[in-house]
Amino acid sequence: MSHAFARARRNEMLLAYALLLPSLVFLAAFTYWPILRSVWFSLHDVLLGDPDIYWVGAENYLRLLDDRLFWKVLSNTAFYTLTTIPLSIAAALLLAVALDSKLRGMAIYRSAFFYPVMIPSVAAGMVWVFLYAPGYGPINEALTRIGLPRLDWLYDSKWALPAIVLMSVWKYSGYFMLILLAALKLVPSDLYEAARLDGVSAWHRLLHITIPLISPTLYFVIIIGTLHSYQIFDYVYVMTQGGPADSTNVLTFYIYQNGFQYQDIGYASALANALLIFVLGLIGLVAVTLGRKVHYLGER
Amino acid sequence: MKSTKSTMTRRRMLASGLAAPFVSMMPGVLTPARANETVKLQFMYPVGVSGDINTIISGMISEFNATHDGIEVEAIYAGSYDNTEQKVITALGVGEPPALWLPINSSLQTFLGLDALEDITEQAKADDIYDDFIGGFLDTAISDDRLYGLSFQPSTPVLYYNKDAFAERGIAKAPETWDDLLETAKALTLRDGDDLKRWGLIIGGGWHDWMFEGYCRQNGLVPWEKDKVLWDRPEAVEALSFWKTMVDAGCMAPASTWQGSANDFMAGSTAMLYHSTGSLTNLRTSSPFEVGVAFMPKKKQFGASQGGGPIMIAKNQSDAKKEAAWTFARWMTNTQNQAAWSQATGYLAVRKSSWEQPEMQQYLTEVPQAEVAMKQAEYSGAFLQVPAYSRARDTLKSAIDRTLAGEIAPETALSDATTEVNREIARVLRRKKG
Repeated sequence: MSHAFARARRNEMLLAYALLLPSLVFLAAFTYWPILRSVWFSLHDVLLGDPDIYWVGAENYLRLLDDRLFWKVLSNTAFYTLTTIPLSIAAALLLAVALDSKLRGMAIYRSAFFYPVMIPSVAAGMVWVFLYAPGYGPINEALTRIGLPRLDWLYDSKWALPAIVLMSVWKYSGYFMLILLAALKLVPSDLYEAARLDGVSAWHRLLHITIPLISPTLYFVIIIGTLHSYQIFDYVYVMTQGGPADSTNVLTFYIYQNGFQYQDIGYASALANALLIFVLGLIGLVAVTLGRKVHYLGER
Repeated sequence: MKSTKSTMTRRRMLASGLAAPFVSMMPGVLTPARANETVKLQFMYPVGVSGDINTIISGMISEFNATHDGIEVEAIYAGSYDNTEQKVITALGVGEPPALWLPINSSLQTFLGLDALEDITEQAKADDIYDDFIGGFLDTAISDDRLYGLSFQPSTPVLYYNKDAFAERGIAKAPETWDDLLETAKALTLRDGDDLKRWGLIIGGGWHDWMFEGYCRQNGLVPWEKDKVLWDRPEAVEALSFWKTMVDAGCMAPASTWQGSANDFMAGSTAMLYHSTGSLTNLRTSSPFEVGVAFMPKKKQFGASQGGGPIMIAKNQSDAKKEAAWTFARWMTNTQNQAAWSQATGYLAVRKSSWEQPEMQQYLTEVPQAEVAMKQAEYSGAFLQVPAYSRARDTLKSAIDRTLAGEIAPETALSDATTEVNREIARVLRRKKG
């Protein structure tokens, strides 16, 4: 009896592995193999377009320590991540709560706020280059109308990165809003009714009922947001090419520059591995800080 | 616009008709055995200036295909110079380069470092290339006395100025020296309170390192040698300090983009602009005011670095393809085509004979601005032909940007950049030594 059970179980396992195999092949070919290769390349002098590679040991990693631009790029990436995620999630949460009602016409608002997500990022980047234009851009016109000084935005090394952050918040918060909206639908409405009867204010209802109950989703959104934000490349490529004065150069763009513009594949690989460590560290940090606070309804 | 285009096409048709018997007379080209098979060539090219260059080049290529049996050139518009170079290098990496490409002349050492270029010295000597091409242009495709490309679109930066704005301020002529430039730019800058209405000067961003090399040459320094850059020399520091003075005086934009700066000039947001001569036709015909063109002002002397580049032929391909590629490169740079190309864009025709064409003479009387860059070319040389030039350019641009943004002093910025780039050049050269 137990023998037959074990065999059935083994067959089931084999079937599972067989079904997983195709995706494993793809993962291995397009993810794991390139990662291993980039570790291998990072220990060599590799010139794009030239088949010869030369062993240099840790040289590429030692160059990182000495590379002024690398540290600037790292801090730009950190700044971008640490501003974009809180801002876009806060905006998404407020939008989701505001739009979680049964009033007529809400569907139109939801679509309107989700709309930026559907615009291809290159097109969105181009549009924002126009919006930010110092001379004739609508944003500067609007600032003038309300009596604020005009800014050079993408041409100013102090404002270029915040300008890209602002645009990313616009682009991503609709996406996060949609996910959070789905989570809000699952919060039992009797909790709100009870709170309302007890005279709890809207702010406290948000803080003590909504946020704890949707915390698993919030956690998910933060992880996704972190992954999104270190991957930022398209906006930088389209809007600023890393400039002015390297103020918008981020890790992915710097890797691209080194690998494809400067043909320095060895150094680009070392940078990519540094990025991997950066991301793992960031996700780990999120997991040990916020991950512990997540509240799963009924189970743990 | 439409009528100009059709006359140009007629002229080219005529030109290719004249060139055809000449081409077939050349040794080794289109032997009868091969004539029946069509050789397919890929040609990658960028658009490096302002204007509808892509339409003009693809028009030329269609015409070549229509008039040359046995050769079919596929035109691949590859984006900017950087994009084009990356596409070619990636293709080289997998062993399938395009038959020909058109890079910036600075990339010569990069491609030689990859052993990617066909040496065309002998073919060129057997032909009239060395006699008829303007020496200064051909030089930019020569390394150790060997020729690796046919100059196709040489340019220099020139000073464009808005004649209406000059008249409005009572300024009679374009500035001739750096000091004049500063004064003129100050006089042309318009502000409404704190709001800037018009810059005195914009130096086209993205290629401002190219203009900066011009400034070094004007100050008596060619800021690079075969295996190092010399940006830490006092002449270069003085040039950057002068830029900083203009920015601090509020008459020059601290940063701009390449296409954006051309648009700003046409829109009247800047009264003067440093841009490529390749943008001449577009700026001249699209601006709602009269456009003046002048030499870049001098310090000790006039000076400029050449932009644009030669058509290069891949080494790693069949002989049949190499021959066909030579035929195509030769046709793109023949007398008539160069004259027409120069008029359509503002790039400098590479052949002496092109400048002597009656149509060209006629054009120069009508548009005397077109001759300015040609005269300035006399004071010009190749642009930053060092190994790792691409990193060198970005490092210099960053040093200039940070200086103009007030983050760092000119001396420190340039000496740091020099150390950094020379270290990278040494690293690339180490590979060659094995």
